Amino acid sequence: MGIHRIGLVVPSSNVTVETEMPALLARHDDSRFSFHSTRMRMHTVSPEQLAAMNAQRERCVMEIADAGPEVILYACLVALMVGGPGEHQRVEGAVAEQLAAGGSDALVRSSAGALVEGLRALGARRIALVTPYLRPLAEKVVAYLEAEGFVVADWRALEVADNAEVGCIPGDRVLEAARSLDLEDVDALVISACVQMPSLDLVDDAEGEFGVPVLSAATAGAYSILRSLGLPVAIPGAGSLLRADSVSAVSVPV
Amino acid sequence: MTTLFILDVPENVPVVDVASVDPAVTVDRIGPYFRIASDLPIVIDRRATGCRHAVWYSSVAGLGASRITQWDKDAMRIEPL
Amino acid sequence: MEHMVRGVDHAAFPTFDPAGTVTFYRDVLGFPVVHSICAAGWGPDKHPDFIHFFFDIGNDDRLAFFYYFGLEPFDGGPQGDVYAKFEQHVPIWFIRSRHLAIHVDSERALLEYRRRLDDSKWPVEMQVQHETIESIYTHDPNGYMIEITRALRPVTPQEDLDANLTIDALLDVVSGPDPSMAALLTRKAELIVERAAAWELSNR
Repeated sequence: MGIHRIGLVVPSSNVTVETEMPALLARHDDSRFSFHSTRMRMHTVSPEQLAAMNAQRERCVMEIADAGPEVILYACLVALMVGGPGEHQRVEGAVAEQLAAGGSDALVRSSAGALVEGLRALGARRIALVTPYLRPLAEKVVAYLEAEGFVVADWRALEVADNAEVGCIPGDRVLEAARSLDLEDVDALVISACVQMPSLDLVDDAEGEFGVPVLSAATAGAYSILRSLGLPVAIPGAGSLLRADSVSAVSVPV
Repeated sequence: MTTLFILDVPENVPVVDVASVDPAVTVDRIGPYFRIASDLPIVIDRRATGCRHAVWYSSVAGLGASRITQWDKDAMRIEPL
Repeated sequence: MEHMVRGVDHAAFPTFDPAGTVTFYRDVLGFPVVHSICAAGWGPDKHPDFIHFFFDIGNDDRLAFFYYFGLEPFDGGPQGDVYAKFEQHVPIWFIRSRHLAIHVDSERALLEYRRRLDDSKWPVEMQVQHETIESIYTHDPNGYMIEITRALRPVTPQEDLDANLTIDALLDVVSGPDPSMAALLTRKAELIVERAAAWELSNR
């Protein structure tokens, strides 16, 4: 059985994707994965820097496709959502066209698209979010998800502008924000609607505490990758979305 | 019997007109085609038609038991097989 | 059978001179650049990195070019273009039988494109007018022959019938022993006699 090569296109200051994605997929029972990334320069999550970052997309796809990955995750969430409704489909389409024109078989997914895919897989309609962004950007994320048909019942913006800082936000602060949300009648909680805000260790415990399915940009990304490769979605300890195909242990009464 | 067919479109009409000057030639229609027939060979002078080359050389749609023995910038001559 | 296609998504050609190609189509003729793709040869057939770029030629149809970095032109010629080269003995009428003709609706448009070409390094080489069409011709920087044409009258339904009769006669004749124009015209006369009267009854 071969190693599945995963390409990652990440914002240059991002450290979380390359930490959480391998950590998640390493828990897979049957399959092995290798990760290969390419970077787009970005420090501040501002509209100007996000636009400049997207302009590097073609170069990054050129570089990563040379490694022959099976799937490329365009690991951007707010960078896509700031482009308005439908942006992840447009960008995924452009990347797919670039890959196809060069005869690459690589599939393309994006973190923004993966979040939508994960929420739909959970059958969620009413959702809540924690984001690290300044309010205007957080509002764009909310608007994007609403355009995809979700009702954003409540949300938080931790207002951290520097992307390196976002990568260091302590789990306590994320959890505190999650606890402050009104989760009444919410179908799912996105504990980190961001590819840089770390949240992996929080997901399962949060699910237990709040009693709703909890996902993050990272767990949704892993879900999307596994589905794209036709692999069983069975990753322990990272929320119910990633246990979609898990066989639950049946306890036999003695 | 010499028979040729020419499609009824505006630029072909001069060819039919010139062909029909010969009293031995009869012209009738079959669908949107002129059927031009004679017991003798049919000769059509190109300059008399005023047609330029592209139209002249594409004006014949069909030949009924006939063959073209001359088709150049001067004239078209059709004879029975 | 439903006819669902919608024209030319793109007609693609290679180029070794992207600057000349852009000057000709975008700057001289005014065809906008509408799309581009940057890619490498990732499939089993390795090839250089390339740019695939597209000009709008009206009706949402597009003319596209491939430019491969570092690729040198291939041997052959002296006739032909950068894609297809022909030896001296190949007749020019054969070489010209592959070309792109782009449609305009009016005399004014045709004259304007004539003016744009004549003001450039690629002037009109030939202008042809006969009873049904008027066309101008030139060769682009890659040696591809380009025609710009306008119809002097609309196509009529009987020409549609006539074309179909020609094709049916052609298929019969080329499957026979000795295909020739004479054979085609004879066969077509038979088809005219068979079908033309009934066609007119159902079409007029």
